[in-house]
Amino acid sequence: MKKISLLTTISIIISAAFSACSPGAAAVSAEISVTDGLDKQIILDQPAEKIVTLSPPITEMLYAIGAGDQVIARDSFSDYPETALSLPDIGGGFAEYDLETIVSLTPDLVIAGGINTSELVGSLEDLGLTVYYLANPSDLEGTFASIEVLGMLSGHEDKAKELVKGLRSRVDAVFTALEGVEEKPTVYYELDATDASKPYTPGPNTFYTSLIELAGGENIGGKLEFEWAQISLEQLLVEDPDLILLGDAMWGITPESVAERAGWNSLTAVANGVVLPFDDNLIARIGPRQVDGLEALAKIFHPGLFK
Amino acid sequence: MRKFTRPLLLCFAVLVIAVFLSIGVGSVAIPPKEALEVLLNTMEDTAPASDSTRTYQTILLTLRLPRTILMMMTGAALAGSGCAYQGLFRNPLADPYLIGAASGAGLGAIISLTLGWPASAFSYLTVPLTAFLCALLTVFLVFQLAKVRKSLPVTNLILAGVAVSSFATALTSFLLINASGELRRALVWLLGGSTMAGWKPVLGQLPFALIGLLGLLTFAYQLNVLQFGDEQARQLGINVNRARTKIVIFATLSTAAAVAFTGVIGFVGLIIPHIFRRITGGDMRRLLPISMVGGAVFLVLADVIARILVAPQELPVGIITSLCGAPFFLFILRRSKEKDW
Repeated sequence: MKKISLLTTISIIISAAFSACSPGAAAVSAEISVTDGLDKQIILDQPAEKIVTLSPPITEMLYAIGAGDQVIARDSFSDYPETALSLPDIGGGFAEYDLETIVSLTPDLVIAGGINTSELVGSLEDLGLTVYYLANPSDLEGTFASIEVLGMLSGHEDKAKELVKGLRSRVDAVFTALEGVEEKPTVYYELDATDASKPYTPGPNTFYTSLIELAGGENIGGKLEFEWAQISLEQLLVEDPDLILLGDAMWGITPESVAERAGWNSLTAVANGVVLPFDDNLIARIGPRQVDGLEALAKIFHPGLFK
Repeated sequence: MRKFTRPLLLCFAVLVIAVFLSIGVGSVAIPPKEALEVLLNTMEDTAPASDSTRTYQTILLTLRLPRTILMMMTGAALAGSGCAYQGLFRNPLADPYLIGAASGAGLGAIISLTLGWPASAFSYLTVPLTAFLCALLTVFLVFQLAKVRKSLPVTNLILAGVAVSSFATALTSFLLINASGELRRALVWLLGGSTMAGWKPVLGQLPFALIGLLGLLTFAYQLNVLQFGDEQARQLGINVNRARTKIVIFATLSTAAAVAFTGVIGFVGLIIPHIFRRITGGDMRRLLPISMVGGAVFLVLADVIARILVAPQELPVGIITSLCGAPFFLFILRRSKEKDW
């Protein structure tokens, strides 16, 4: 009993001391308080000035809202914009991140992305760092929300809102142009065809399917069961898409090499020569470039409507 | 005793060097003077003087030191239980994973990753803890299957172990193929490179690994006698089944602790006992302890290489153990004058 009452007394004293301080503290700085993708409460006394980013989309979005100068290090795959390449590389990919270097840079905020594990987030927090986990969105509204959250964390709220406003009006312009369009071309989007008899294609609930639909097309992978699915060549021949987009073009896949695959020349799209390389980063990288992707897709699907 | 004391002392000396190397080497260069200051600060429990010292303190005490200890314990646990199994099964090919500890742990880890448990309310120790429990369960299953009334024939144990292992591996592959989420994390775990920062994994591993290793050491004499075969051992007053059961329990405890917190690191448990058998001979009272120390040295050094080879990235240490371990092992075997390896 004695112990408990002592504890209670101490806690009362401490809370009294804190409540006495807090009005003053609140007046000094506008505190930023947000909940992240792992349901953690992140509190910053002021916008983050030294940010380490752990995934390419985050780097890209931070630069887009004018917070590039506050980024002090990036993961190995952050290659856009090009200026980001000059920042210290803290690893990533199949191997682990370089926690030592991250700690030595004393960031006031580390931003992790959907690609990072919650264990990594836990490890970084155990090292005394503040970590915001930005969960992967699966539609454009989610992308816009991510941009605005990053604006809040980095103190570029206005710039972020302005950017989102501009992006929204570009999306609306695409919708207006597509109004009344009935004919939707069917599309096969190729992610990886190392095994050409059952290549990987994006399925339902992915950015690929949602952007292709917004751009007035129909993703044949949208009917599959898994988000990242292997479609059999047989199924592909049955669907016989109007268009083939090569998201793996950056790995050296060309329309010619597709035509050479056994059985593929029976596809209408291959016979008609509508096999088109597509910059996968315009869809895969969450951020403002996805609107570029939407516009590019719409132009491919309905060339007559966009001059 | 010359065949034992000298090599053991030498091993300890190399271990000390390896530990210093492991704490001293990393992607951030820390001047020795600063490192000393951190050490003094910590011992006197004073606050670090400057921001840079505080950073160094975090790197040294929260990243490098616990990781070094984790690698030491893992190396000792794998080499120790590998040595015990080679003795117990009277088979030079035996390694700590022979009767299912690794495949069980792998299955546990993948289950926990596919169900997304690490992101749940549990802390991020969920994966190792699930792996640990599944490793113990798998070996327990093997044990029950192999038991014939009250006796525990070695052949049964090996065969049941191989069968249950393949079953668990098949389940793991099935889950991996159907996983929609984070495959990379699972792959790194299976390659033996799951190094988590901080003291929690060390505290999780240490008690089990210690109990297992100390337990094994107390059975060194029984292991020696078991070399003569069950009948002889029984005549020499050993309760064969009870000794065998306890050795399996202790070896499993340390292997499961090792594999759960660092992933599946291969080769250590197989080669280290063989290397030291060449130096100290087959007496388990010497071979067991020196294998443990040797395993610790080997894994700490392998981890240093894994960290610096492709810096700032890190390689899973399991790749290094096999990559460097296999040629080194063959070199040792070729050099020895004996006709038979």
